[in-house]
Amino acid sequence: MTAVQGSRKPAPTLPRTFPRTALAIGLAFAMAGCASVDIDRAVATSNDDAADFTQGALQLARTPEQQRDREAAADALLAQPLDQNAAVRLALQNSPQLQALLAQSWADAANGAQIGRLPNPVFDFERMRTVDELEFGRLLAFGLLDLITLPQRYGIAQRRTAQANIRLTRDVVAHVTQVRQAWVRAVAAEQSVAYARQVNDAAQASAELGRRMQAAGNFSRLERARQQAFYADAATQWASARQAVTATRAQLERLLGLTEAQAERLRLPPRLPDLPKAPMPPDRAARTASAARLDVRLAQASYEAAARAQGLTRITSLTDIELGVRHDTMFDRAEGGSTRRNGYEVSVRLPLFDDGSLRRDAIGAQTLALTHQLEATLRAAGSQLRESYGAYRTAYDVSRHYRDEVVPLRKLIAEENVLRYNGMFISVFELLADMRAQVNSVIAAIDAERNYWLADAALQAAIVGVPVAANPALPAGVAGSAGGPMLAAQGGGDAGH
Amino acid sequence: MTSRRAFLKSAGLAGGAVAAGGVNQVALAGLPELVTQTSAATAAPLVPDTGRPYRPVVTLNGWSLPWRMNDGVKEFHLVAEPVVREMAPGMKAHLWGYNGQSPGPTIEVVEGDRVRMFVTNRLPEHTSVHWHGQRLPNGMDGVSGLTQPSIPSGKTFVYEFVARRPGTFMYHPHADEMVQMAMGMMGTWITHPKAPHPLIDEVDRDFVFLLNAYDIDPGSYTPKIMTMLDFNLWTWNSRVFPGIDSLNVRQNDKVRLRVGNLTMTNHPIHVHGHEFVVTGTDGGPTPRAGRWPEVSIDIAVGQMRQMEFVADEEGDWALHCHKSHHTMNAMGHDVPTMIGVDHRDVARQITGLIPDYMVMGERGMADMAEMEMPLPDNTLPMMSGVGPFGSLEMGGMFSVLKVRKDQPRNDYRDPGWFKHPAGTVAYEYTGVVPEPTRARAAAPPAGAAITGGAGGAASIDIQIRKPQGHHGH
Repeated sequence: MTAVQGSRKPAPTLPRTFPRTALAIGLAFAMAGCASVDIDRAVATSNDDAADFTQGALQLARTPEQQRDREAAADALLAQPLDQNAAVRLALQNSPQLQALLAQSWADAANGAQIGRLPNPVFDFERMRTVDELEFGRLLAFGLLDLITLPQRYGIAQRRTAQANIRLTRDVVAHVTQVRQAWVRAVAAEQSVAYARQVNDAAQASAELGRRMQAAGNFSRLERARQQAFYADAATQWASARQAVTATRAQLERLLGLTEAQAERLRLPPRLPDLPKAPMPPDRAARTASAARLDVRLAQASYEAAARAQGLTRITSLTDIELGVRHDTMFDRAEGGSTRRNGYEVSVRLPLFDDGSLRRDAIGAQTLALTHQLEATLRAAGSQLRESYGAYRTAYDVSRHYRDEVVPLRKLIAEENVLRYNGMFISVFELLADMRAQVNSVIAAIDAERNYWLADAALQAAIVGVPVAANPALPAGVAGSAGGPMLAAQGGGDAGH
Repeated sequence: MTSRRAFLKSAGLAGGAVAAGGVNQVALAGLPELVTQTSAATAAPLVPDTGRPYRPVVTLNGWSLPWRMNDGVKEFHLVAEPVVREMAPGMKAHLWGYNGQSPGPTIEVVEGDRVRMFVTNRLPEHTSVHWHGQRLPNGMDGVSGLTQPSIPSGKTFVYEFVARRPGTFMYHPHADEMVQMAMGMMGTWITHPKAPHPLIDEVDRDFVFLLNAYDIDPGSYTPKIMTMLDFNLWTWNSRVFPGIDSLNVRQNDKVRLRVGNLTMTNHPIHVHGHEFVVTGTDGGPTPRAGRWPEVSIDIAVGQMRQMEFVADEEGDWALHCHKSHHTMNAMGHDVPTMIGVDHRDVARQITGLIPDYMVMGERGMADMAEMEMPLPDNTLPMMSGVGPFGSLEMGGMFSVLKVRKDQPRNDYRDPGWFKHPAGTVAYEYTGVVPEPTRARAAAPPAGAAITGGAGGAASIDIQIRKPQGHHGH
């Protein structure tokens, strides 16, 4: 399966021809038992398995109509400020990365299922001439062992297809989680920048007042410089805040797979959603996470495929049997007649030099490794969930603490400081300095809220069995990865690759 | 102002209630009645009904302690206790004092009286009472550790001595003195002469008050006891203007002011419209040959001064400490000067960030008195007080001496604002004011006003903002 060169028409045209070709050259009896890959069913399974993540909207677009539908849906979503669910939906509808993921999954599944097919028979034609004789030799040969082991191959192919399906779901969940987190970062950055501007404004007012104070002879150069220094610092903070907006937004644009024109239309809501009234209780997180966890299922599928493959390898490593049907025709020029010969051939590979033990050892060891890998995944699953929940719960408590304690206290301090200013107990410079401190607390509160929503997205993923880095505060981690499965450095459970 | 009879009645009631609440009844059985005062108003003079007669003093925003005669001994009962003192309407301080108030009641005795002072300690720590300026037996001097053990919490001690020397004295603790004085433990002691004294004149009005100072953070109630000098409330009898009562006198009354200083700095007390002579110090009456006329007298730390004058000029005369920061209430001492800094446009920017912000100080600080802006709880404007012509822009150690032709003798009621005879009030000149001719220096180079000269010869362009009648804020 070669990659599509032209960018105008991506993946869609290829798969359609593929089954046809296979059908055309397949033999009737081989057809009966052949394994096939239905990508639409695989996508439907992913939609079911991770309904919270895909909102049922995952679809591999292969026709121009589907492509147009996708564009229309993206346009509709971009017409309004994009909330978190809409962002996920937009990624599902619009992201070429996700489409690539689906197509790649199809490819993986098809490759995996290949073992379920019989190798094609070999037709051998010979033309031999002696002095007076011309001989046509025809041999149709096929692997007898392949035919005998067909049910086993079919079983392996099924397991591998299932494996590819789970991997697809997992990659989709990971991508959607990244979209959620990128959305949270982008909204939080926009929310913070308004406050960073306020800090800057306050510092600017201080600096300007300081300048005038010096001009009027009321401030020394030192005092004026101090006020100016606040402004200088605030200006850099504001610049960083604006850069954070650009960076987080760009990251979101990439994950949504927006074109430049679409990116221009992207609008985000002014603030993050409020914290939920109560955090998700720990037992609910544990209950929701179940045997349906993707990491466990993937490890299970890898193990089963390997275990079945082991049985097959035990036979094929030792021997190989090939059966051929021969039909020869000889023309005798001298006598002016022809004779025919019919018969069959059986060829057996003799295990004289290689008794196949190394191959059997290798496959056995591989299966053993996968057994342990499955056990490790089972054991790690609960622990990862607890870690994710811990991060989630801490982020919730911290954010609520900011909301209920820190910010109201800062507000109270600000109000009292205005009263103190009224009484000429403090100066306007102290008032502005306090205002900066107050605003910085608000920015910290927004950061805490952002961390909560990041941890929330990570927990949702952890519950279905896709451990995602809980709370990377800086959006740098994902910046470069433009394609392929986006599961950066996760724990075990993925032995299938 | 309540009548003395009514006052004694209510004071007695209040005292009974307090006695029942606090100290063991049996222990108090042999003690003089315990009287406390709940009001910070100036009480009427306490005319003696037992013992030797005398002309009583009036304690500004205070009162005199009743006594009982016991076998010819004058017995008083002081209770050292935590009190709540209203420093001016709108502000209350949590202080330590005596008998319900800080400062404690004035004790008035007559030269030669044998005096027995019962002192009950209801403070959380030990105390003692030092009778500042008295001649007395050494063991009665009240210096804890030196002349007596200190009075433990809950205990009552007795001091007994003869008031040998007429004059104006003070009392205050001499145990954990820094804390207890910073908390308001102090009072005045007057020893009247028993017979006409060649150096002590009879007067018609005799006022007494103590100078004290507190550091109470705006919004809080308790003084900071560690403050050494940077107090923010300069008080007379633990009151600040506009909470200090006026001194109301009849024209041509002979007036005596007795002022004691228990702050940590000196105070030049200044009387308008009259000259006075200092007739007494802590050491006693001053010789007549040593008296000279003054309009201000500096009262040093720990000193007492008696000033006397005839109030022969009608009107409302200011009476205040001449340290101008002492006629202000709580203020920020680190607030920079804003004068001459036009920042109304910057103010708009600030108002965007801090909606309640208002421009102050660019013309001076009188804005402060003009604008009534919300302040922290339990504090007072730096300057305030409204007179018949507008804001007084005063605080702290300030009061008014009100001299009236028609003030009845011995009547201390406030007669209201003075009604000036026609043509005796400063008035506005409505003619043309010509610009003065001034020698002008060459204009400084542009920018010099901002950057200043490196050589230190900064050339500042003075820009006075002329009054423009903008009362928008």
